[in-house]
Amino acid sequence: MLLSFCNWLQDTSVGTAIREGALLYPVIGGIHLLAIALFGGMILTTDVRLLGLGLRRESLVDLIDGLRVWKWIGGIIVAASGLLLAWCEPLKLYRSPNFWIKMILFALVGVHALVFRSVYAYPDRIEKSPARARLAGALSLLLWAGIVVTGRLIAFDS
Amino acid sequence: MIPLMQWIGSSALANAMNGPEWAFPLVQSIHFLGFAFLIGTIAMVDLRLLGFGLRQPAGELERDLSPWTYTGLAMMLTTGPAMFSADAVTYYVNPSFRLKMMCLAAALLFNFTVHRVIARSNGAAIAQKFAACVSLLLWSSVIAAGRFIAFV
Repeated sequence: MLLSFCNWLQDTSVGTAIREGALLYPVIGGIHLLAIALFGGMILTTDVRLLGLGLRRESLVDLIDGLRVWKWIGGIIVAASGLLLAWCEPLKLYRSPNFWIKMILFALVGVHALVFRSVYAYPDRIEKSPARARLAGALSLLLWAGIVVTGRLIAFDS
Repeated sequence: MIPLMQWIGSSALANAMNGPEWAFPLVQSIHFLGFAFLIGTIAMVDLRLLGFGLRQPAGELERDLSPWTYTGLAMMLTTGPAMFSADAVTYYVNPSFRLKMMCLAAALLFNFTVHRVIARSNGAAIAQKFAACVSLLLWSSVIAAGRFIAFV
């Protein structure tokens, strides 16, 4: 079922256009990377601060609230460009172990967001449970690092 | 220069990079994480200079983020040359690689001189916005040219 969906998706005009256009794929790939560079650092920085490894002068409230909208903007750009990249080679991704690990890590990011919702929604209350905030930061750092690494490794899956 | 590149391409580092199948992908993954640290932290200062994002003064933010900017830079400057060594001659003649190196040199120079001075001194708003725009443009060019290395 999924395989026939991938087959169909790959042969849509959008998929074909991205795959066969000389410029489209690298340009979308460039936008994907650019958004990771500009906004991914914000996630890492928040995690580092949650872990207490720096930026102690910045209040967590300021950091989490001040960056929230930019993380959303970055997330939307990364997701949209990533979707377009996936669109042109779904059959390859279907067979790529690293792609599936990456998708599992994304699902875990969702679980992380639910479990640690209070850390990000009420950063002013973090002082009451610093260990929990550190755990949230550490897990987030691991998950996102894993997503970047498996994302890069997809290109090397034969 | 080509003999030098051939020598780099046959060095022990190059052999290690071309050895196990996972070496190059792993090093490249670290390179990607590194730029999230390096460029991400710089972009946060740029956003602040443009009047967005965090409320903390730009100079303070730049100073507090700089250990992480340097961490990212260290990751880039070790993984980058390692990847280069794996196929030195090819990279050396690649136009997109050359463009990337020029943009990188300009971006680094700008970042640790003009950008830092403007961020740390509470200069005129127009100067702050100028520095932020140039910085974002330079680092974006580094990324874009980097992505194109594989396609030219």
